[in-house]
Amino acid sequence: MEERRRKIGKWRYIWPMWITLLLHLIAILLFTTGFLLTRTELPYYSHCSDVSQSPCFPSSPNNDSCWTRPSVNRLVIIVLDALRFDFVAPSSFFAESKPWMDKLPILKNMSSSRPSSARIFKAIADPPTTSLQRLKGLTTGGLPTFVDVGNSFGAPAIVEDNFINQLFQNGKKVVMMGDDTWTQLFPHHFERSYPYPSFNVKDLHTVDNGCIEHLFPSLYEEDWDVLIAHFLGVDHAGHIFGVDSTPMIEKLDQYNNHLERVIEVLESQSGPGGLHENTLLVVMGDHGQTLNGDHGGGSAEEVETAIFAMSFKEPLSSVPPEFDSYSCQIDLDGKNVCISSMQQLDFAATMSALLGIPFPYGSIGRINPELYALGAGSWKSGASQKQPESDIWMKSYANALCINAWQVKRYIDAYSASSAVGFSHDDLSQIASVYAQAENHWLNSTKKLLLDKDNGSDALMPALKWQINAYFNFLTTVAELARSKWTEFDLNMMGTGIGIMLISLAFQVFAILRAAKQHGVNSSLLSGNSSIITSSTFTLFLLGIRSCSLLSNSYILEEGKVANFLLSTSGIVALRQSVIKEKLLTESIGFLLLSTLCRFAIEVGLSKQAATSAFMKDYSSWIANIASNLPVWDYTEKFIPMLVLILLAFWLFKATNRSFFDWPWKYVILGTILSYMLIVVHWITGSDEFGVALMPESIGRNYIPRIVYAIALGQLLLLACGQLFKLNSLDCKKNLVAKTTAMLSAWSSTVILLSGKQGPIIAVASIVGGYCIMRLDNIEEASKDRPGRSFSIMQWSLFATCVFFCSGHWCAFDGLRYGAAFIGFEEFMLVRQAILLAIDTYGFSIILPVFGLPFLVATKYQDNLGKHFLFTQLSQMYTTYGFITAVVTTFTILCVTIQRRHLMVWGLFAPKFVFDVFELILTDVLICLASIYYFDQGNNDDPELKSSDC
Amino acid sequence: MDPRKKVSKEKTAAASKPSVVEASPSISFSEAFTVNLLCGLGLALAFFVSNNIYSIDLVTDPSLTLFLISIIQLPIVILLYSRYRLNRKKCSYLRAVGRGIIGVPVGALLNSLGAIALGAPVTFQYLPKTLYWSLMMSLFTTVPASCVLGSSWADRKRIFAHTKPNGSVEYLICLQAHGAVIGGWFGAWPMPLDWERPWQEWPISVSYGTLAGYLVALVASLGFVLAHPRLQHVKNE
Repeated sequence: MEERRRKIGKWRYIWPMWITLLLHLIAILLFTTGFLLTRTELPYYSHCSDVSQSPCFPSSPNNDSCWTRPSVNRLVIIVLDALRFDFVAPSSFFAESKPWMDKLPILKNMSSSRPSSARIFKAIADPPTTSLQRLKGLTTGGLPTFVDVGNSFGAPAIVEDNFINQLFQNGKKVVMMGDDTWTQLFPHHFERSYPYPSFNVKDLHTVDNGCIEHLFPSLYEEDWDVLIAHFLGVDHAGHIFGVDSTPMIEKLDQYNNHLERVIEVLESQSGPGGLHENTLLVVMGDHGQTLNGDHGGGSAEEVETAIFAMSFKEPLSSVPPEFDSYSCQIDLDGKNVCISSMQQLDFAATMSALLGIPFPYGSIGRINPELYALGAGSWKSGASQKQPESDIWMKSYANALCINAWQVKRYIDAYSASSAVGFSHDDLSQIASVYAQAENHWLNSTKKLLLDKDNGSDALMPALKWQINAYFNFLTTVAELARSKWTEFDLNMMGTGIGIMLISLAFQVFAILRAAKQHGVNSSLLSGNSSIITSSTFTLFLLGIRSCSLLSNSYILEEGKVANFLLSTSGIVALRQSVIKEKLLTESIGFLLLSTLCRFAIEVGLSKQAATSAFMKDYSSWIANIASNLPVWDYTEKFIPMLVLILLAFWLFKATNRSFFDWPWKYVILGTILSYMLIVVHWITGSDEFGVALMPESIGRNYIPRIVYAIALGQLLLLACGQLFKLNSLDCKKNLVAKTTAMLSAWSSTVILLSGKQGPIIAVASIVGGYCIMRLDNIEEASKDRPGRSFSIMQWSLFATCVFFCSGHWCAFDGLRYGAAFIGFEEFMLVRQAILLAIDTYGFSIILPVFGLPFLVATKYQDNLGKHFLFTQLSQMYTTYGFITAVVTTFTILCVTIQRRHLMVWGLFAPKFVFDVFELILTDVLICLASIYYFDQGNNDDPELKSSDC
Repeated sequence: MDPRKKVSKEKTAAASKPSVVEASPSISFSEAFTVNLLCGLGLALAFFVSNNIYSIDLVTDPSLTLFLISIIQLPIVILLYSRYRLNRKKCSYLRAVGRGIIGVPVGALLNSLGAIALGAPVTFQYLPKTLYWSLMMSLFTTVPASCVLGSSWADRKRIFAHTKPNGSVEYLICLQAHGAVIGGWFGAWPMPLDWERPWQEWPISVSYGTLAGYLVALVASLGFVLAHPRLQHVKNE
């Protein structure tokens, strides 16, 4: 009975936190499924020999080719970044003529003068239409999403099977020039590469001139099979000046001249025995752009781009009309120009088929019939003369499609088998039945007819056509399914998620007000003195600025500075307050100094970010320069942290001598001191000068951290046990202080160890900052009536954010300190390393602040006011802290929803979203845990009993 | 940004101690209007000089422009406000001018420290700009107070921390200082945006904010001076 009462008493304070956690979990789950499309990268690769498992004919067995019969020998791919479809297509295709149209006349002239060997395609890209994602999509033949779960987490290199990898594996030599994204994606695959930096959008010419400088000499050389030249001028001109601008037109004119020259050079070498006898030229865009030059989203302007392909060998024939998708128009010069349409998804499969290499394992594209037909010229020699040309094409195309369909089916099966979130069962069975139909027809009729050499084309042709249509049907079904799964935001889900998030905010406000009401009649928010109202108004003002700053990409990039600006502002306000009250001047000045120091640390952090981040290349910090130049710095860097850590340990030791630290807390703190000493030993052995002499390196490197982790776990266990068995004989306020100190010290050793040498210094800064906030909180008269110290909680939260940035973190995946995950462990284990990484990332900015929050309550009241009062305060405080985090995260969520078609959505907003959401959930979980740990029954509402009960 | 004056948003209306009201100089509306007009004209003159004689503005050469503003405003502010010094018997006009001049570097130091705490760059490249900006800030915030109040800590506290000015001159001082600081604070907002405009550099946008806040305060303080007799009347009741 007593136990039950006790429980009920406890739950009375903490139930709002659990409901908040639940609401947040639901909201985030719904929103994330709608927004963050995920796909698992499979670690499988296609091999030449695989094709024997397919029901199709292998290509001629004596040949050195493997999957399909190679029909071109060399391939020149010229990528013009952000090439809009209407740059290429004649203006007569559109309702009205615009200044930027018809600026690449060479392409349409070629396609009108040689309709069978040069073709223009309208290529439909899939969102996200950013260069990196598109290059990934083009080469893997898949649909890259934001979170491609795989081994490449954190590094941009593509580990999935792809076109370039297949070229490399099959001995084809690739030469690349232009955009350096290629070398990031494929660091080891190029025979030669001439990369140029791509993120300086203001520079219209460096990349293009570099490309041109290397392109023409390379065209005369023999040492490559595939040449890739990626021009960026149009993209950059669009970003800076927009599409309807003089620089854009100049760029297009320039490209037209260069393309003319390229075609001339290739043409001149295309005679029998020439260097480019069997070369295919592809000029393509990776995505389109809007009239303002933006891209990234899925609007028609952004996804419509063009592919121009030209073969220098006269192909056999045109494609049978039923597989051709062209539409023709008379252009301004009176020539007939035909334009076909294709999906960019099909690019990898088609190019692989043309070159005769295995299709990338994860490709879900189909071989485009018209593009494939451009390579048909090389079959002339091999084919028997008596057959009609279109028959030869059909036979070989049907076989290629057979391989294609088999490969796609293999991928879908493997994906469903290995991915946690695969396709639904219904979808899979539909795919399977469509494939079975096509395959049965192939095995039972088409294959026999093809093997039967004597048979005329009368029976074969209809069967082949049926077969090709069946494969088309299958491949289209798969592509549709994949698109719906991997490229479309589910706006309903996102909307529901936001709705629930807003409900949870309303609930939190209700919980805060409810707690405020419990203080009693004379302490409602409105009837109190006006300084409380202004203080909470100011808190709301700060919170409002901080949240709204998340709506802009610039402020997100400099979030640390924004948080610090607000922190300093709050410090100045606090200083003003302390001048008014004429007390605590030292604390407020100290706090201001600390926030100034934070600001310098954040600048150092930003300079680290600039070194890796794509968006911050220009940023250079003078502090980093000074820091790296001073030789004294080396020594300081080595010894100061150890010294500080020892001082910390000493301070803790003195603290334990205080009377109210009873047995569990005391032993916990002693354990922490031991851990600190071990950490110092660990650092000494780790450093070069005197490490080796003391003990074998591996012991220092691995065992000491493990011991520290073990001690920390033991401490937490002890605290939990103490919570269960300990009777609260003490004064409840002192009890709370002891509990908080013990909890913080239990966590601190691990956090400091993981943070490395900067750990102790940040720990001291946190202690000083926390102490100042705590003291400044007392600036108002400590009266029992005063509710809501929202201002100090806001400071607490801002300070935590600043510490996150001070300790060299930032909201991007390359900002994670992966090294920290391997302190004490050599080998990778997902869960263990993820936990360590999370502790490193959020140790100082979430774990310690959340567990340290009771200090704000405990130091506030000098006299013993009773448990009920204390716990109501604490519960209100935790709810407020959770509310602040939730508001910030809600704005991040709103931001990604609004900006989901923004250029930087995958580079900047989505990582920020992931970090914030993780932060919110972690904060909620920790608040719940802390509430279990700190709260006790406060069931005595009888005021007379309050003090005696505690 | 002098910390003590930082924020008027958090007015502590319920300040407990009633401060000792000294014989604060009260001036008529027309006189206050003249003072404010002269300050405004000084700014206009500074911009006129920098535009037409040196053909520069805040964006092209912030250091020199800020320096010109400071050097032109300096005599105007000190000479004008020294006329309204407290304790006229003990303190001569020249002495008020003298302490006004001492107030310049002190205020500049406080302002620049505040700016650095809030994130102003501290490279050598920005050193002159920060210096001239804080000189200008000092003229808008502390110098008038130094001239009028001298080193009286209680009076300064009353005006800047409690925002309880007493008499029309103190209204001018208090509002203008708050206007300049709050304007500068808001002026820092556009700095991180990626518009890549030259005026986003430190301290150009902050200076614009400061000047805007100051000009608004010049006008607003006149309104307060107009309403002042009435306020006094209410207080007495």
